[in-house]
Amino acid sequence: MADVQLVRGYSVGAVDYLFKPLDAEVLRSKVAVFVELAKKSALIRKQTTELVQREAEARRLADARAQLLVDLEQKNRDLEAVNKELETFSYSVSHDLRAPLRSIDGFSQALLDDYAATLDDGGAQYLRHVREAAQHMGELIDGLLALARVTRSALHRQEVDLSQLARDVAARLRNHERASARQVEFVVEPGLSAEGDARLLAVVLDNLLGNAWKFTSKRPEARIEVGKFVKDDGPAFFVRDNGAGFDMAYASKLFGAFQRLHAAAEFEGHGIGLATVQRIVHRHGGRIWAEGRVGVGATFHFTLGEGERK
Amino acid sequence: MRDRVMLLVEDNPRDEELTLLALRKHHLKCEVTIVRDGAEALDYLFATGAHAGRDACLLPEVVLLDLKLPKIDGLEVLRRLRADDRTKFLPVVILTASNEETDLLGGYDAGCNGYVLKPVDFNQFAEAVRQLALYWLDFNETPPRTGMIP
Repeated sequence: MADVQLVRGYSVGAVDYLFKPLDAEVLRSKVAVFVELAKKSALIRKQTTELVQREAEARRLADARAQLLVDLEQKNRDLEAVNKELETFSYSVSHDLRAPLRSIDGFSQALLDDYAATLDDGGAQYLRHVREAAQHMGELIDGLLALARVTRSALHRQEVDLSQLARDVAARLRNHERASARQVEFVVEPGLSAEGDARLLAVVLDNLLGNAWKFTSKRPEARIEVGKFVKDDGPAFFVRDNGAGFDMAYASKLFGAFQRLHAAAEFEGHGIGLATVQRIVHRHGGRIWAEGRVGVGATFHFTLGEGERK
Repeated sequence: MRDRVMLLVEDNPRDEELTLLALRKHHLKCEVTIVRDGAEALDYLFATGAHAGRDACLLPEVVLLDLKLPKIDGLEVLRRLRADDRTKFLPVVILTASNEETDLLGGYDAGCNGYVLKPVDFNQFAEAVRQLALYWLDFNETPPRTGMIP
């Protein structure tokens, strides 16, 4: 009889069966065990709930990441498309805009060559203006193409010896035919190094030093310095000259494409160089800024972002 | 002995005129044949199509090839020339306005013998043409052609 009741008891959820009279010790230890078991059950239930929540959270994160990847791939495709368009555009500009200029320059020169007898000085002068304009436009096109190229080209970071680059540019400027008569002192701080794209950094120094060279052309004892100074948030490189300088009131216009602060008669140029330099510096994650004083000189500073060597 | 021949592949009639002016300016003696697109260039060199009557053994001393051409573009013309035994060694100089790196690499990869930019400045252009003509028509030894009577 007792067995049937035992089985019934277990089947409705009893976990143990105590027979009376109860032994106090046995009762106490059994209760202790079952209390412990109950606590452990509660803990397991709690942990299970937490696990389930964390799984749900992990699934949410995985979904979000998958979505981000999809968006990123789309953005990459868009960027590639824009780059392709820019490349096509540059290619067309390269060929199609230059062709008429060749005609303008070429036939003007042909007129000067073959019809000299029928042209007076005034006429010849007009034709020279036409040629100059065509050549200037050719340079503008070159500048724009260089600017577009900077935007499109991949950035290959490596250790770059800026001191050597600066010395190479200085040598090139000195060897240029029109340079022979000029007295220019180049002071390049040794050991200037940065992590960046070697080709693009060469363009930066080419432009900054070329500008310094140009704007010191009226200075009998020109001095151009390339160096580095340390600011609170890291080192910055600079190119300083004692040339014509510029009015700080117009400093914000310096880096805009086609913006010029000097009359074409004073200093030739097309105003794209600094826009190109700025784009390169920004692509490296850095900043560029300038200080100048009219008649005293100018200093261009730039950082190259986290790619710099400390 | 026949006059040295330069084949100019150029679609722009003004550029063609300027090239001829440049040659004249420097009194360079050579026969200049002009074709206006890539297809005609190949027809001429292989003596097919419109130029079927031409003696295919008579090749020019140098080909000045523009890149942007109608019908078949410059690089494709060059590739086909290099793929054929008859024109594999034919001197081809690319004369173009583009200094895009893709064009430069493409040109050399396809086997050009030189790559010269067309500057806007006519005097520079004339000087470039003069030097090209002098070098390729005077100095350079043309590749041998079998069965040719010089």
